[in-house]
Formats: sequence, structure tokens, C-alpha cells
Amino acid sequence: MTDYPIITATTFLPLVGAVVVIVCGSDRLARWLALATTLATVAVSAPLYCSGYDWSFNKDSAALQFVDEYPNWIPAWDIAYRMGVDGISLPFIFLSVLLSVLCVSVSWTAVQTRVREFYAALLVAETAMIGLFAAGNLFLFFMFWELMVVPLFLLIGVWGGPGRVYAAVKFLLFTLAGSVLMLVGMIVLYDTFGTLEFDQLAGKSLSPATQTWLFVAFLAAFAVKVPMFPVHTWLPDAHTEAPTAGSVILAGILLKMGAYGFLRVSLPILPDGVQFFLTPMLVISAVAIVYGAYVTLAQTDVKRLIAYSSVSHMGFVTLGIFTLNTSGVEGAILQMINHGIISAALFLCVGMIYERTHTREIKDYGGVARTAPVYCTFLALFCLAAAGFPGLNSFVGEFLIISGAFKTQIWLGGMAIWGVVLGTIYVFWLFYRVAMGELNPGLEGLNLELNAREVLTLAPLALLAVCLGLYPECVLSYLHVPVEKLLSAGATP
Amino acid sequence: MNIDIRDLALLAPELALIVTALVFILAAAWVQSSSLFSGLTVLAALIAGVASYLLLPADPITGFGEMIVVDDYSQFFKVVIASALAVVTLLSVSQADDERFRPAEYHALLLLAATGMMFAASAIDLLTLYLGLELTTLCSYILVGISVEKPASNEAAIKYFLTGSFASALLLYGIALTYGVTGGATGFVAISRALSSSDAGSSYILLAAIGLLIGGLAFKVAAVPFHAWAPDAYTGASAPIAAFLATASKAAGLAALGRVCIVAFQSESGVLSVVLSALAGLSIIVGSVIALSQTDMKRLLAYSSIAHAGYALLGFIAGTTEGASATMTYAFLYVFMTLGAFGVVIALGERGGRLDGFQGLAAQRPGMAALMLLFLLSLTGIPPTAGFAAKFVVILSVVRAGNVTLAVVAVVCSVISAFVYLRVAVLMYMKEPTEPEPSRCPPAVSAALAVAALVTVIGGVLPGSLTSWAVAPDAVLTIMGVR
Repeated sequence: MTDYPIITATTFLPLVGAVVVIVCGSDRLARWLALATTLATVAVSAPLYCSGYDWSFNKDSAALQFVDEYPNWIPAWDIAYRMGVDGISLPFIFLSVLLSVLCVSVSWTAVQTRVREFYAALLVAETAMIGLFAAGNLFLFFMFWELMVVPLFLLIGVWGGPGRVYAAVKFLLFTLAGSVLMLVGMIVLYDTFGTLEFDQLAGKSLSPATQTWLFVAFLAAFAVKVPMFPVHTWLPDAHTEAPTAGSVILAGILLKMGAYGFLRVSLPILPDGVQFFLTPMLVISAVAIVYGAYVTLAQTDVKRLIAYSSVSHMGFVTLGIFTLNTSGVEGAILQMINHGIISAALFLCVGMIYERTHTREIKDYGGVARTAPVYCTFLALFCLAAAGFPGLNSFVGEFLIISGAFKTQIWLGGMAIWGVVLGTIYVFWLFYRVAMGELNPGLEGLNLELNAREVLTLAPLALLAVCLGLYPECVLSYLHVPVEKLLSAGATP
Repeated sequence: MNIDIRDLALLAPELALIVTALVFILAAAWVQSSSLFSGLTVLAALIAGVASYLLLPADPITGFGEMIVVDDYSQFFKVVIASALAVVTLLSVSQADDERFRPAEYHALLLLAATGMMFAASAIDLLTLYLGLELTTLCSYILVGISVEKPASNEAAIKYFLTGSFASALLLYGIALTYGVTGGATGFVAISRALSSSDAGSSYILLAAIGLLIGGLAFKVAAVPFHAWAPDAYTGASAPIAAFLATASKAAGLAALGRVCIVAFQSESGVLSVVLSALAGLSIIVGSVIALSQTDMKRLLAYSSIAHAGYALLGFIAGTTEGASATMTYAFLYVFMTLGAFGVVIALGERGGRLDGFQGLAAQRPGMAALMLLFLLSLTGIPPTAGFAAKFVVILSVVRAGNVTLAVVAVVCSVISAFVYLRVAVLMYMKEPTEPEPSRCPPAVSAALAVAALVTVIGGVLPGSLTSWAVAPDAVLTIMGVR
């Protein structure tokens, strides 16, 4: 297709950048190098997003494209290095490279200690994110899955807030506890079939009993990452204590990994297992939506509020996936991208104002719109998007999921709508308390308005929120064929 | 028994070490330069390692009237032992000045201990096996207690000696019972032949013999419940010796155990599988859990090495060729990551011995902290480090053996041990330093760390690349016509 191995280059360029950042001598240089690396990664991956040429991505194919293959990676175990993209993974790769640039930008002045290590960790995380979504087999998937944990552990624990150590350790232990069971599941699959390639595993038949156990093993890993109720308790701590860039990566990408795992592993490889656990999965998704929304209403800390809202929003995503119909699954994937954009944007907004005020308590804000109109315009836009306002991106995703849910069970759709109503309440209440009213006396004399760098950081996400709202087909068109294949081969509702 | 003097060529690696050791003992009267001795020891270890690799035969060759065998299995472990010897010698450089012991004796003992380990790896007769292991343990007792002015060192040596003698007695008793039950066989091939042709399998004496042999060997690898000596011995010994015991000595014990299980007692694999599962499971659980409460780094690594002995044993449970090569892979990679972790402990001097000595290390010594993080991640088994590749193969072999429960126990315990290693990482990266910066470590220690780090990274990024020649020991049975 093109002259260079796009996927490999996109995946490992940040890793190379991380090494360069570590060995370069100065913090100032490190910032520019990190920015250059993330921008270069965007540039290198650019051919992936083109369409219409004979070398570009073919939306009519469900197969892995832009495949980079090296069969002799691990000859002893007959495991190949195989990376590529399909319609489901492509949007996530785009989101990963984009958010990485914004993370570098938002940390420009916010991170002042051990700058080089910070950017190196960020870039290693970028490699892990891209690699995970581009992995062509379960072995690579697992490697990147685990690789992701280490830089985030450091990002939270070293550059985070006051409770960072507790949050970092909790995050690591939760995710590790889940992923070791996935390791056993992966090994059982490998032992049974002698291969870990996704496309080969999808066609194999396994006894329903084995599938049930394997589903549980993989569920342990994916549910923690999503996070599903009731293993979500690491999330509020990690998101709240992480530095802004860490929260953005956690909310924007890491949470999507679990849901992506369901789409990549559980649905195609373990259809009988999915079938067996369908009702419980739908129920805990619905519980997550409503419970998450109520808990969000009770929060007094801005970051914690957004963090809990993620529990509710990711409930929509898992609900959509397990409706197992086209609109539900497509809506879930679209909603993952939407949530990646919106929650990342909200965390960026909070991070920017926190840098000035050093408080995350909602009661310390109020009337911000009076001194920072540009900031509040962005905040309003993202709040509207989070509430699922028509014309903005979440609306389409939630609409598709809810229509999928109604097709499955009436009461599921009802729960989802209840969640949307609550979501509107907590988002607008947050905006009201932060931006409206009289200026909080504690904020007087502070320059709360955004500078040019911050506007440039938020602008791409605002643009995306509007574009995806007005023309969701630009993501959905990638999904039609692979989702159809996924659903035709896998479990039926 | 027909002994051919030309068989000595098979023992070239051992001879290289023995000759060097003897020269050291003779030279001790005139030469006191510790750097000369360490240099020569490293050289001898390298020669032994390279010779072992070059002597790799296509088919197993037995020598000295079927007392030893040279095959892929023995040479693999000899390379592991020789590399561990070289790295430990490099790590000893900074200690040689602090601890007032005579360099010639210290290095001669290291060399002789390694020779014994190599004999054990090559042994195909219970008597050679016993002699090799005894040579090793006798040297180890002295090495643990070599800091004569330190009471802790003496105490550790005595504890190690008492429990070690007990284990040797178990082993010997097991040999005697095997001799009786098989009608006078000590050679592995002869034992195997006797057991497969008679109904000795049902005898309680045979079970007792197996139990005693496995018990004696489990002591050498420090598997629970034969582990109690390890934490005390490691803590009392100087850090390089602790590293030597945790790596080379353990590898030799695994080599011996593997050959006994898979060659001599291959017909009893059902019993062995139960015994080894129990040893492995207990070691993993006890090692991981007790490590949680340790505050002394050498003790923490001792319990971690007990848990890792359990993981390594997982490979032998299946009683298959694949399983044995999984354990070999594990042993190889484990040796380097553990040497790395001990290397950082040594490089930090007095601070390295205490858990809280690691506080704030990342701010003072980012490079050293990053290395330690690498070794800790590898010990936890997180990709892309060697520890993950190692864990993958042993868990795969347990799953193949049909014991998924044990596999789940093993991975769940790896989360517990993650917490153990995590505490060090948290101290290094997330706390402010309270102690003055540690002094720079000597170049020899840096070189040792670089080797360990290189293997840990390559073993993780290209899994299987370094250990593709890990081949199980049972080819000798085919050659000798047992099956």
C-alpha cells in the first residue's frame, strides 16, 4: 500500500521518542522533543485515515489492513509479530495519537518536576495504546495491555495529587489482578489451538463449558479496565489523583481498552460464553449507568465528578456491546470515541483551571464565566456534549445504544433513558455551579482565561465533538462492515 | 566399568574451573591482589561457559562408565551456572574491600562451588549427583560464613550447615533406598530400566525413596517446606554470595531435580506430579505471602526466590520434555533478573540492604532506579520483560498438564508478589529521599548490571530467542535403548 510499515512506525515512534527524551539534557528540550514526537506520530499515521485511493483504508473489508507481519518473531512458540488495523481499531488509533499531542500540550507548564521522566512515561503509554489497538494477535494484545499499566502507574504515583500513592497502587493491583486471569485464559486458548491470531481464533469451535470459563477469565481483565460495576472503585481514585495528562489518557483511552477487548476477544472467540452471561452483563451495565449517575450527582470534587460520570457512560458502552445488534454495537463503539473526546476534554478543562486555582472543590468555584468567557464557552460545549445534546457527538452514540437496548429489552432502554436524564442533571448542575452566578470571592484577582496554547489544545476536541455530532457517518462508515461480520459470526441475542 | 581417560575432554568446563581454583590456592601465599583473582575468575567462568556451549553434542554422550552425561540439558545449565559465576564475581568486587577475607580463598571457593554445580548438571548417576551437590554445599557453607568478624555471617553459616547436612542425609538415604529397591542400581538409566521392567512401582519403599530424594533436592532449590534456611543464609551472607545461592545454586538444584524426575523416575511420573505440584504450589504461596512483610532487601529477595523456585518447578509437573524445557527457560531468565536485583542492592552499598534505603532513589539516581524497576517488573512477570516470557512457558506447561487450578493459584500469587515488588518501586519513585546519595558503584558492578539488564530486555522483547536450545534431558534414554 505505502512504502513504509505505517503501523509499526506509528506504534514504536513514541517509544523511540521516549528514549530520546530521557537521554536529552534539558527539561525545555524534553518538552519540545515530546511535542515533536507526538506530532510526528500523527503525521506518520496520517495515511491510515485517508480514503478513496487504492492504497488507502478499504471500508468495505472487515479484514486487517496495513498489516505488518514478521512471522519469525517467536519461532519457539510459533507466534508471529502481526499488526494491522480494521474499521473498529482505526478510530481508536486516531484518538490515541490525537490525545497524546494534547497531553503533551496541557502538561507544558503544569508539570515542573522530573519533566523528562514525565514525557518519557507519556510516550511509552502512547506506544502501548497504539500497539494495543493495532495488535493482530492476542499475545501482542496482552503485551501492550500490560505495558500500558507501568507508565500510568508512574504518571499517577509520581506526578499526581495528594493521595497519589494509594491511587497508583490501587490502580496497579486492580488491573494486574484482572489481567493475570486473562493470561491464563490466553494460555488455555494457545494450548487448545496452537495459535493466538485473532482471525484464526474466531473460526475455531470450543465447547460451551470451556467458553464459559474463558469468558470469566477475560471478563476479569476487561471488566476492571472498563470499569464495570462493581470493580470500578479504582477509577475515581486514579482519575482524581492523576495529573491532567494521566486523567486524559485514563478516561480517553484506557477505559476503552476493556470494551475493545470484549469486541476483539469475547464476542468473536467466545460466542457461547457471551450467550451464557448475556443477561448478567446487561444487568450490570444498566446498574452501572444508573448507579454511576447517582453517585456522580453526590460528588463535590470536579475531577471525581467527571470520573464517576465515566462509570455511567461506560455502562452505556457495555450495554450497547451486549445488546448484540447492529445499532447497539455500532453505537457502543461510536460512544467509546465520543466519551474519549468528551471526558478527555472535560479533564483538560478541569486541569487548566486547577493549574490556576489549585482547588478541585466545586464550592470554590462559581461565576467563572464572568472572567473567563472563552473557557466557559468550551466548558459549555463539552458539558452539552456530555449530556447528549442533539447536534453534538454523544447524542448519536446514546441514541443508537438506546434504540439497540429497546430492541433487546424494553426495561433496558428505560434504564438507559433514566441514565441520560440523570446525566443531563449532573452535567448542567456542574456547569451552573462552576460558571454561573456571582464570581466566587476566592477567585478574584486570578487570571482564569485560557491562553493561546490552551485554546489550541481544546479546539481539536471541540471541532471533533461538533463534526461527529453533525456527521457521525465519518466514524460509523468504518464500522458497518466489521460490525456486521462480528455479529454474523458471533453470538446472537 | 570401563573408564577412558579421553572422557576428560567432556569435562573441559569443569576442568577450567578446577585448575583455576587450584592455582588460586597455590598462589594464595604470594599474591593478595583481589582484582587479579576476580579477573581470572571471570575469565575462567567465561572459558567454562563458552566451552560448555561449544561442547554441545548432537546426541548425548556418556562418560566415565555412565557416571556423567554431556547433552543439551547439562550444557544449558552449565552455561547458566558459568554466567552466574561470572556475574557474581563482578558483583563481589566492591565487597572484597569491605569484608576482610582473603581473595584467593574466596574466589577458589566460588570456582569449586560452581564446579560442583556443573557436575550435578551432568550427573547421570546418583553418586555423581551427590558428590557434585556436596562439593557445592560444602563450599557454600564456608562462603556464607566467610566474613568471620561478623556474628550474623557465622550464625547464618551454622544454620545453613545444620539444615544442609540434614538435607544431604535425606538425599543419601533416598539413594540407599533406591539402590535397594532397584536391585543395586544408582545410574539413572539403570534405575529407569529396573523400574519399568519390574513391579517395583507399587512398593512403599520406592515411594519413600522418591520422597527422600525429592526432599533432599527441594532443599537445594529452597522449595517450601524445605526453604527455612534460605532467608537466614541470604541475610547473613554477603550480598554477592546470597545472589550466588539464589541463582547458580538454585539452577543446579533444578538441573538435578529435573534429571532425577524425568530420566530416573520417569515411570513414576504420576507420584512425582503430585509431589511436585504440592512443592510448587506451597512455594509460590508461602514465598509470595511472607515476602509481603519483609523490610530487609536480602530477606525480601530470599522469599521472592522461594516463590520463584515454585514457579520454576511448575515446568516439571507435566513430566514431559516440553515441561522440562519450560523450567530450563525459567531458570535461565530467572537467574539474570535475580542477579540484576541483587546487583542493584549491592551497588547501593549499605542503603541497598534495607527496604527503606530505596526511598527517593529515582530522584538521586534515575538510572539505578530505572534498572531496579526493570528487574522488579521482570520478577513480577510484566511484559515486555524476560519474567513474562518465563512465566508464560511455565504456566503453559501446567495448563498442558491439565492442572488449570494450579495455574490460577500461580498467577493470583503473582499479584501478591507484585505488591511486594511494588513497595520498592513506590519507595524509589514516589517518596522523597531522606538519605545522602549513595556513592558511585565500581565499573565491575555496572558491567554486571548491564549484562543482567540486557538479558532481561532481550528475553522479554524476543521471547524464546536466548533459550531456544533448552532441551529436556530424556534423550539419553532413547540413546541407551530404554525406550
